[in-house]
Amino acid sequence: MSAVIEFKDFSFRYKTQSEFTLHDINLTINKGEKVLILGPSGSGKTTLGNCINGLIPFSFNGEMKGSCKVCGLETRDASIFKISEHVGTVQQDTNAQFVGLTVGEDIAFSLENDMTPRDIMLQKVDESATIVGMEKFLSSVPYNISGGQKQKVALAGILHNDVEILLFDEPLAALDPAMGMSAVDLIDKIYREKEKTVLIIEHRLEDVLYRHVDRIILVNEGRIILDTTPDELLRSDILKTNGIREPLYITALKNAGITFDEKDVLSNIEKLDVERYKDKITADFHKVDIRDNIEKKEKFIEVKNVSFNYGEIEALKNISFDIYKGEKIAVVGKNGAGKSTLAQLLCGILRPKSGEILINGDNYLKYSIKELSAFVGYVMQNPNQMLVKDIIRDEIEVALQLNDFSPEDIEERVESTLKMAGLYPMRNWPVSVLSYGQKKRVTIAAILALRPQVIILDEPTAGQDYHHYTEIMNFITDLNEKYGITILFVTHDMYLAIEYTDRAIVFSDGELIGDDAVYAILSNDDIIEKASLKKISLVTVARKAGLDPKEYIHYFIKREREAA
Amino acid sequence: MDDKLFITLVPGNTFIDKLTGKTKVRIFLLLIIILTATWDIRVIFPIFILSIIMLVSIKPDVKKNIAVIIFVLLMNIFNLFLTWIIKPDYGLEMVGASTVLFRFSDFFIVTAETMWYFLVRLMKFMASFLVSLTFIQSITPSELAAGLHSIKIPYKICMIVSLAFRYIPDITRDFTNIKISMQTRGLELDSRKSSIFTRLKQYVLILIPLIITSFDRVGNIANAMDLRGFGKSKDKTYYCEHEDTRGDKLLVPFIIFLIILYIALVVIKAVYKAPYEVWAPWIS
Repeated sequence: MSAVIEFKDFSFRYKTQSEFTLHDINLTINKGEKVLILGPSGSGKTTLGNCINGLIPFSFNGEMKGSCKVCGLETRDASIFKISEHVGTVQQDTNAQFVGLTVGEDIAFSLENDMTPRDIMLQKVDESATIVGMEKFLSSVPYNISGGQKQKVALAGILHNDVEILLFDEPLAALDPAMGMSAVDLIDKIYREKEKTVLIIEHRLEDVLYRHVDRIILVNEGRIILDTTPDELLRSDILKTNGIREPLYITALKNAGITFDEKDVLSNIEKLDVERYKDKITADFHKVDIRDNIEKKEKFIEVKNVSFNYGEIEALKNISFDIYKGEKIAVVGKNGAGKSTLAQLLCGILRPKSGEILINGDNYLKYSIKELSAFVGYVMQNPNQMLVKDIIRDEIEVALQLNDFSPEDIEERVESTLKMAGLYPMRNWPVSVLSYGQKKRVTIAAILALRPQVIILDEPTAGQDYHHYTEIMNFITDLNEKYGITILFVTHDMYLAIEYTDRAIVFSDGELIGDDAVYAILSNDDIIEKASLKKISLVTVARKAGLDPKEYIHYFIKREREAA
Repeated sequence: MDDKLFITLVPGNTFIDKLTGKTKVRIFLLLIIILTATWDIRVIFPIFILSIIMLVSIKPDVKKNIAVIIFVLLMNIFNLFLTWIIKPDYGLEMVGASTVLFRFSDFFIVTAETMWYFLVRLMKFMASFLVSLTFIQSITPSELAAGLHSIKIPYKICMIVSLAFRYIPDITRDFTNIKISMQTRGLELDSRKSSIFTRLKQYVLILIPLIITSFDRVGNIANAMDLRGFGKSKDKTYYCEHEDTRGDKLLVPFIIFLIILYIALVVIKAVYKAPYEVWAPWIS
């Protein structure tokens, strides 16, 4: 086996930062390996990737120590173009990296830059597009294809140069669960058929483990913490302390008091011999008394037979459901299923084409968007799209000023909101120095200032690792428990639904296909498939142990919440 | 996606649509240059007719096109009217005579020459406008980039042009998202409820996050391009620039004709110094 990537005593510091981001990296990756670089956000894993593809030092300047060799080239002495002949990179932002105006053009981009004659180019584009299954979409424009398809296009775009190493930077970040699974599958297929060296940078361990990986390198605080096999890593307890979420089935089995040994294939739930531990699992399991949960509260919003269409396209078809005060609801479904249309309808940005929405029993048509903001608040996914002021305090003030509050009221509200959000000590900080997660908190506070009774959060956890995720979710749960605010999460994230919500509303192609307790939805294979969700591993554990999946998930959720 | 702009992303199926970017850019530029260079109706009128035929041939969205054409036509007529008020006897200067047709007062006269000059001017502007309208609606941004590249414009500049078109719809979508989020925080954009001044001030609030998100994107785009070798070679080939079709070959003589016509116009102007800019049949 020959080494294709070799780091020796390598350290790196970005020009704009005083501290080193990577410290003393010693790492060898051999030809033909499939390696997962695992780490929480800010751990330095993306920086490590950028050292391999040449963005460091050629696009991001900084101080380098030690040596980093890629396919025998000392990167600092090569050029980004030279390195890109060996390393093909698929970046995280599927949309921004789509530079062509059609699928074909985007796949051809590197060939164009290589001055490949057009006849050869056409042939190569066809070949690559066929490998990723996009050959029928060559003349599609980027606005009409999904994030998953854009990612396939990006992958096709790096295949034709016969690169040795394929590098995927957070390939799952922008995809819904079903698309994520097919991405992991496609990466694996190319790894096997093309015999490439594959590096995946991710923090979502369970999703990547859907297909085999040879090695996992755990990175945190700029250092390599562990470099081992998936089974070894899962057996250890090192994940949680490094801000990585353990696969659910591992947590469930550990909860049942099981200690694993060498024989267990932990990285693959299908291969894991759960039957061996059947007794321990059944002994630990207790059916949850359903009556615990039935207490329904006061009805707050009623959605009655609502339909909405954009021209010819039907976005929502005859939707009916109720929202009760103080609930936590997950609104799930794949992109384009009608989730954001629903959110915009509830805020009054859009109004139903037929049917009606009642708030406290009154038809909400009598309220303007502005008046509705006292009932329903909407927090968008990307905090950068919401923040308009330089200072945290001013940001909170915006909504109050726009709603013509008196200066005294503004003063009072801003102060109490800052305290509710735990931002009071930071109130005079500039927004620009905040981390992504902190910005998120500020946007929630900005909406909170108007004291809405319902807050709709669009993908609150997108792009955040386990640690930040827990922080933001605990904050939201606090708002719910302490202040009785009803929360609607618009999300793909099944973990979020399991840990933080009681009820899930599922959309598929504009129709409401499920409205039930989270555990009931997650154990319903039919709904899971229609809504492009991922079958959660707990279902497999339950079946293998001979338990009812629905009851088992319910028990798991209850237990996790009690432990938290 | 709501297509409020006239940009075409997917090439159509008509004769003009199928031409290469190279041919489209050349013909467009030549027609515009000729229209700018001349005031001779014997040149302008045929081009004007041609521009109408071209526009109709690409089967554009009738409603959208009629609306802009009428708007531009009215603006031009209004413009001519203003010119007339300031200088009713403009024809004397441009055409070289003053045949009074109607007299409102000693100053406000209607002369045949002024009307002729206005007709030529209107036709000249409308022809340029129709040629441009056809061009915009029949060329995709990538063909434009390839076409510009074919007339020796550096490919990095061509790339900027096509990238701008690529990301305009994304920026529009960001703008809508930001607007929605601000509206739910109480931003009032309804013209009945707030004054123009307040609304303008509020649009500034939307612009700040828009600029920040756009900057985020620029960094990512630049990296994506670097990683795929943009700027590696001295030149670049184009995926979208297909082989010449029969149409392209047929149009080669036409392009040569336009070039000769332009040279002829310049030479005639230089050699035979006409005393007046605008030719009229009744003035020798």
